[in-house]
Amino acid sequence: MDPQWTTLKEFSLPSERGNERQAMTQVADAVKELGLPAARLEKLKTAVAEATMNALEHGNKFHADVPVLIKVLTSPDAVAVQITDHGGEQNIPEAETPDLEAKLAGMQTPRGWGLFLIKNLVDEMNVTSDEKHHTVELILKRTEVNHGE
Amino acid sequence: MPPASLKLSVRLGNAATNIVDIQGEVTAAAESALMDAYTQASANGIRNILLNFTKLEYMNSSGIGLLVTLLIRVNRQKQKLWACGLSEHYRQIFELTRLNEAIGIFVTEADALAKAT
Repeated sequence: MDPQWTTLKEFSLPSERGNERQAMTQVADAVKELGLPAARLEKLKTAVAEATMNALEHGNKFHADVPVLIKVLTSPDAVAVQITDHGGEQNIPEAETPDLEAKLAGMQTPRGWGLFLIKNLVDEMNVTSDEKHHTVELILKRTEVNHGE
Repeated sequence: MPPASLKLSVRLGNAATNIVDIQGEVTAAAESALMDAYTQASANGIRNILLNFTKLEYMNSSGIGLLVTLLIRVNRQKQKLWACGLSEHYRQIFELTRLNEAIGIFVTEADALAKAT
């Protein structure tokens, strides 16, 4: 990662249902000093919650003694949140792009919005894996580039 | 029994509309409570179901999935689903998911009731 990045906070959470709310709160607290526009902060919070839910459920299978690790970093123009679980040995299936018409017609499950939301709420999402770990990195520009906020 | 973080209540909006007030968190845990509220709100052949999100604190992707499930049930019954009181952030989520094309979205309850007749 670029040396311009500095770590704001690192923490871990037990893999228990609902702990994505704690992740969201702690990340919001970590970036408070950056003064992100409110709409940007809400996008980051939702993306962090969704990525953490995936890590708790699919990565760590809700094993409470297996933590999800979360690292919050900042650079002069962006914020990054790295969410690491212990599901590195698993193949990650390619997620089906959700389509509302297909869901309403019963052609797709009503669920399956998480990854879609993450990809659409942050500016960049990177996924890395090794034999043990799986890390999702979310990058959000600190200010809106195209639309203004 | 709804989760402690969610409270749903049903009340009459107008002659054709029942309102479901949503207070708290809409997550996977909300499924039975939301569907029960829908059943209650559908009594007497009501045509419109208005979800009032003014006191929504948090909704995740599972909650979005529940709304899709609810929409399927509403469509089957030839009813119409409406929503009001969404924050700017959740309005954007509805646009991203295109739920705003299937659910009538209004800023205020009064605006929605004026249309849902």
